[in-house]
Amino acid sequence: MSPMIDIQLIAAVTAAACAIPGVFLVLRKMALISDAISHSILPGIVIGFFITHDLASPWLIIFAAFSGIITVVLVELIQKTGLVKEDTAIGLVFPALFSIGVILIAQNANDVHLDVDAVLLGDLVYAPFDRLIIDNADFGPKGLWTISVILVITLVLLFAFYKELKISTFDVGLSSALGFSPVILHYGLMSVASVTTVAAFDAVGAILVVAMMITPAAAAYLLTTDLRKMLILSVLFGVGSAIGGYWFARWLDASISGSITTVLGLLFLLIYLFAPSKGLIAVLFRQSRQRIEVSLLTFLLHLNNHDSENERRVAHLQEHINWRKVKANSVLQLAEKNNMITIDNQIVSLTDKGLEFTEKALDYIITNKDEKIEDMKDDFFLFRG
Amino acid sequence: MKTKIAVAVDDLTVAYNYKPVLWDIDLSIPEGVLMAIVGPNGAGKSTLIKSILGIIDPIAGSVAIYGKPYTKQRDKVAYVPQKGSVDWDFPTTALDVVMMGTYGSLGWIKRPGAKEKKLSLEALEKVGMLAFKNRQISQLSGGQQQRIFLARALVQNAAIYFMDEPFQGVDATTEIAIINILKELRKAGKTVIVVHHDLQTVPEYFDWVTFLNVKHIATGPVKDIFNDDNLTKTYGINYKVAVQQ
Repeated sequence: MSPMIDIQLIAAVTAAACAIPGVFLVLRKMALISDAISHSILPGIVIGFFITHDLASPWLIIFAAFSGIITVVLVELIQKTGLVKEDTAIGLVFPALFSIGVILIAQNANDVHLDVDAVLLGDLVYAPFDRLIIDNADFGPKGLWTISVILVITLVLLFAFYKELKISTFDVGLSSALGFSPVILHYGLMSVASVTTVAAFDAVGAILVVAMMITPAAAAYLLTTDLRKMLILSVLFGVGSAIGGYWFARWLDASISGSITTVLGLLFLLIYLFAPSKGLIAVLFRQSRQRIEVSLLTFLLHLNNHDSENERRVAHLQEHINWRKVKANSVLQLAEKNNMITIDNQIVSLTDKGLEFTEKALDYIITNKDEKIEDMKDDFFLFRG
Repeated sequence: MKTKIAVAVDDLTVAYNYKPVLWDIDLSIPEGVLMAIVGPNGAGKSTLIKSILGIIDPIAGSVAIYGKPYTKQRDKVAYVPQKGSVDWDFPTTALDVVMMGTYGSLGWIKRPGAKEKKLSLEALEKVGMLAFKNRQISQLSGGQQQRIFLARALVQNAAIYFMDEPFQGVDATTEIAIINILKELRKAGKTVIVVHHDLQTVPEYFDWVTFLNVKHIATGPVKDIFNDDNLTKTYGINYKVAVQQ
């Protein structure tokens, strides 16, 4: 295989392996913890390297994952004292551990391939040249094997404990009452996140691994209301951005990990703007529709309250309710389109449908019971809560 | 005639950061009652339920469900947490939340199947929410969310039901629907224990009551102990005047 394909494979598998724990971190509102883990595994890697003198040793992953878990424990211990909040505790712990790692590298590892740049940004370009060779047979890049094994383990754990992860993320109390210990699940997830981070570290570095964990999940969250689909979408976004980012980097002749993250960011921006129901544009559209619908209701109430023709003239309505012409027209159009009013000779009258709608809507606003307005939710944003 | 004791709490003390929130609680709840736990804010009502269910570790004391520790009796107990304790924006549907009630009987790893789905649909029908089974949970009203939680407890088909403020933020129709289901449960011989806030409705809804304010004040039939004396002891003000206002 060519290095080109090797790099894309490593990036894609890394992205998939990061996206899965990322979904649960996002849903548990623990995105920042991934940032903390990604930094504070550094002393674990360095100490592991001093002991084994081999950057590719599996012991490195174990040491580093262990320091990831220590981070989580420290954050929780500091937070439990009640003296500082969680975000402050995170901000205290990871720079401390990270700086220990940086000092250890500067003091002892100047002559080896373990420098601060590589730690921060990763070095995907060199990954294909560190090959797994058994009995003179070339089995491909070592990095690809490591991250693939981790992806497979993550998938097996996800399939086995999907139900447990779901309930302990959604409802800690019930999870605990039913005997699915939230503590065990929490540390299980943290272990997977730590191990994945360590393996992804080589490819994308300490800063960008956070983007690989959080961005695909955050984007998928805006597109679906189903946990299963959220997981699938996250993996697809991660893999797509990894491959897209590689070609983007070639085109720009720039850092691969930087380009992958940029593509992830752009993808998120697009989804943030254009997601069908949770996107910014959809939300703004919904709000403007709601404004018109409130006006419509005001208008229908006015019609309902006033019988005399004088009060129901189109021109009078504009003066009386004090709306500008554009708004008055759009409200009139909406009402007419829904067959709620008829306009005859510039006199507006409420139809039976309009009357029924007004009464139901009033009833909903007064009692806040929405059983009767279920059918109205499809046509009107106002009643969707 | 002596009825069985469903829940027995013995010398229970719970503390947050070394500050006791429940102090030396002794309590026994007979089988087959519909019981309200009342007390002011911060009285430890939710904490009492959570420590009975092992969600919070007490610093002293013990709990027995039909004479055995809770961990041996999980299948006999259903729990409805406070509605506000979960994230209703979680990507899941009404049916899926109800199915979570079946997880306990499945145990680790095993996934819910057709049987669990059928039970969950029946529970949804019972609380009048079948039409909403595929609705995303954030798209439900407060009352509908509470019904979903009730359906999830019904699916557990337990002997004892613990409910933490099931009437919080629900409309009058839902409140009546919920209390009717709770009364049905009692008729079927189940024990139902409810953290409750509205003192006015206690005599109408419940047959037993526990007064709690960090310490246990009284437990017994509503007709015997729901009086000004106990209300005053619990709330620290003359409740006769307050209720009548």
